[in-house]
Amino acid sequence: MFDNKNTGALSSMDLKAARNRVLYWVMFALLMILALICLLPLLWILLSSFKTPKEMLQIPPTLFPSTIDIHKLGYAWELLDFSRYYLNSLAVAAGAVVFTIVCNGLAGFVISRLRPAGSRVFFLLMLWTMMLPNTLSLVPLFKTMIKFPIFGFNLTDTYWPMWLVSGASAFNVILFKGFFDGIPSSLIDAARLDGCGNLQLFNRVVLPLSVPILAVMTIFTVNGAWGDFLLPYLILKTPQRYTVMVELFSAKGSSISMDIQMMMLIFVVIPPLIIFMLFQKYIMTGFTLSGIKG
Amino acid sequence: MANPELAVAGGARIKRNRRTRALAVFRRNLGAWALMIPSLFCFILLVWKPLIEGVVLSFFKTQGYDAVQFIGLDNYRAVISNSEFKAAFFNTFSYTFWSLIIGFLLPLVVAVFLNEIVHWNSFFKVSFYFPTMVPGVAAALLWYFMFNPGQGGILNNILTHMHLPTSQWLQNPNLTIILIVFTMTWRGFGGTVLIYLASLQSVNRELYEAASLDGAGFWKKLTRITLPAISNIVFLMLIMQIIGVFQVMNEPLTMTEGGPNNASLTLMLQSYYYAFRYFQAGRSMAVGTITFLILAVLTVVYQIVSKRTETDE
Repeated sequence: MFDNKNTGALSSMDLKAARNRVLYWVMFALLMILALICLLPLLWILLSSFKTPKEMLQIPPTLFPSTIDIHKLGYAWELLDFSRYYLNSLAVAAGAVVFTIVCNGLAGFVISRLRPAGSRVFFLLMLWTMMLPNTLSLVPLFKTMIKFPIFGFNLTDTYWPMWLVSGASAFNVILFKGFFDGIPSSLIDAARLDGCGNLQLFNRVVLPLSVPILAVMTIFTVNGAWGDFLLPYLILKTPQRYTVMVELFSAKGSSISMDIQMMMLIFVVIPPLIIFMLFQKYIMTGFTLSGIKG
Repeated sequence: MANPELAVAGGARIKRNRRTRALAVFRRNLGAWALMIPSLFCFILLVWKPLIEGVVLSFFKTQGYDAVQFIGLDNYRAVISNSEFKAAFFNTFSYTFWSLIIGFLLPLVVAVFLNEIVHWNSFFKVSFYFPTMVPGVAAALLWYFMFNPGQGGILNNILTHMHLPTSQWLQNPNLTIILIVFTMTWRGFGGTVLIYLASLQSVNRELYEAASLDGAGFWKKLTRITLPAISNIVFLMLIMQIIGVFQVMNEPLTMTEGGPNNASLTLMLQSYYYAFRYFQAGRSMAVGTITFLILAVLTVVYQIVSKRTETDE
């Protein structure tokens, strides 16, 4: 059972002792309980959302809904007009991906490959500000968005603020730079000899070689944009333009009944969970790398 | 000399040649910087300018979000003498304390356990990471539903069925911070577990075998070999944890709005309320600056330790 155990302090040898076996299975049981605490709440919310509003307030309360009517999901979706919020959030996410690649990707490329005089200073400045606590930016950022310094545009109620903020991610610049550093110089030099300009070099040589990092970055950016709350909450005024998170938050304390709110929560959580299922390996290894680096 | 062009230029003896070279280098730099414009634009407008502007605003009387008159430290005085600020200040430390008990220890223990487990190992990893994929406000709302204090609240419901007394959960001022910290831990611990696991796997297993031969038990191996080996990353995570939890705001905003009776108000939530509820931007920034200064100290410690860790490896 434990013949090929090659991790941890307890070796296959140790586990021949009864005492260590008990210890092993106790640890296993504790982890199992924890895993259930991680997985079950969402399931429970889903189950509860099938209760009728009347059943929710019933005394004594029922543990499980008396009937599970799958059509209720469709009904709630229609009632909340949730396609709209999905599309809004997708628009925010798509723009964020574009800004991430155009701003952060190009910056990473310049710092990694072109290294003009002064780029090192820019890079260090960026690193420092990334490490600083972010307790001061909310009001000035909001102020900037009400009256954008260029032409004095009012960007509230648009998606521009969220997009622009994605363009200022020091963390992504570092990830891009790290990846571009690993591209063989011979490829870059060859492209130079063929007369490639800077932008061509980026588009035709660097980007096609960077599919893995672009994939990871896209996954994380879409996920981040989907879950982003505070900035959209401050910026978006018209309910029709709300993102899923803003709509979810404003449903709390509105006239929408509890069961429908719970269903809304499920709707909001499903896309990130699908992303997780599809790209689980990418996400979990990507996280470890980023955690150690950051 | 990192730049080959410069090296060539330095070697060239003819003045005119040198000048054209320099011009070429300059044009090249300019071309490279042109590609940085989008990024520079975003960083300057959305990161650097707000940071400076925030500190400046904290010294001004504000109208709307604009500075109207320099008033020195008046915002700070007004903020510090406010009883809400005191509540928020001590609460924030209370959050930090509980997050060290719950949020810091849990991932460490779980990672050590998981490192021993060979059965269902990937299932555990995926389950622990699963809540991280739930967006922050959605996770807060999820537990808000779970902790609903009424009879119909999900946890109360279970308690009733087990014939146990129900709880007020978040409405209980003694519990509210602990439950919010629990919610944050639920969502975040899986990522930290993965980071610890990576570093646990790099511990030299020959040490364990040698210790086994000397008759050391699991506990002894843990305290004498494992923990010393990963102590640096543990300390880094500890500081990260404090820095993170010190800025907590979305969770109390979603779950309690700082209540009951300011029992879960935090510094950042207070700063948010000043700005967007009371429309006193200057005072909001004063709270922000105070929090910033407290955290800046921790950040410096983090940097020093992090440098040391890098040179160790």
